[in-house]
Amino acid sequence: MEKLSDQEYMRYSSHLLLEDVGEQGQLALRNAKVLIVGVGGLGAPVALYLASAGVGRLYLADDDHVELSNLQRQIIFSQRQLKQEKVSAAKASLTQLNPHIEVTAFAQRLTPKSANNEMLEVFEQVDLVIDCTDNMQTRQTINKLCVMHKIPLIVGAGIRMEGQLISFNAQESDSACYHCLYPFNETTDVNNCGTSGVLGPLVGVIGSLQALEAIKCLTGMPVSSFNRLMRFDGKTLQWQNFSVIKDPECSVCSAN
Amino acid sequence: MKLIINDEIKTLAVTTVSSLLTVLEQPDKGIAIAVNQAIISRKNWDDFQLSENDQVTLFQAIAGG
Repeated sequence: MEKLSDQEYMRYSSHLLLEDVGEQGQLALRNAKVLIVGVGGLGAPVALYLASAGVGRLYLADDDHVELSNLQRQIIFSQRQLKQEKVSAAKASLTQLNPHIEVTAFAQRLTPKSANNEMLEVFEQVDLVIDCTDNMQTRQTINKLCVMHKIPLIVGAGIRMEGQLISFNAQESDSACYHCLYPFNETTDVNNCGTSGVLGPLVGVIGSLQALEAIKCLTGMPVSSFNRLMRFDGKTLQWQNFSVIKDPECSVCSAN
Repeated sequence: MKLIINDEIKTLAVTTVSSLLTVLEQPDKGIAIAVNQAIISRKNWDDFQLSENDQVTLFQAIAGG
């Protein structure tokens, strides 16, 4: 039977104490393959928490380089990594944090056209995808691929003082998808965090919740954000949550 | 009809979600609408009948990260 090493027992002892995780849950994390698209304000805490939790294989996709203005919120990077590819810099940080995991870096943008290159093969392998991107078009592409390959998807977004979180499980036939919620390719707010502004801890809150939902999903716990949109107001600390149901005419998840 | 729109009580002569957007002069691009904590699919905006005291939440999709 598969077992954790002595080193792993010590490292993950706080997980092992949890009834909901235990050794079986930790082994599930070790065997898991997770794709994180976008290594920015959301992707940074997601990648750090999943690496420290012992998710065995992490795939990172982002075509940007580390800029000085990223360091205000993208806590996986440090000053000495300026100008490096984000995915390479993140891989170095994660490997230093946890030598038990494998990190694969894709320094490329996920576009509908790149959807037939090696990124597509990743969608065929992974157990879970986490959307940490900064634009609607990529979000729609990720959603389509997750629906096509029946992969659970955890979506986070944050700008200024507002955050949103929602997850979908395409393995369930009655699951909604991102396109049921937002059936358009553009937001009126075309700005990104670099031009509209955002507080670092705001994306930290949403990214941390994405990591929490990911761990729950991978260890078989119920995922409360499936088909449920959570909105967070960083000014008042108020949360709103809304149910989202499948659109029976959705061109992505109901097309057949 | 009395509605609670983004936590504010308003009395408006509206029937459907679409008529509400028209009265509020709310551009529909990039937004989502929930009535009583349930997102109303965009395709149903024309048909969805609002009722007295419904809680309506209008908000923007955001894509930053």
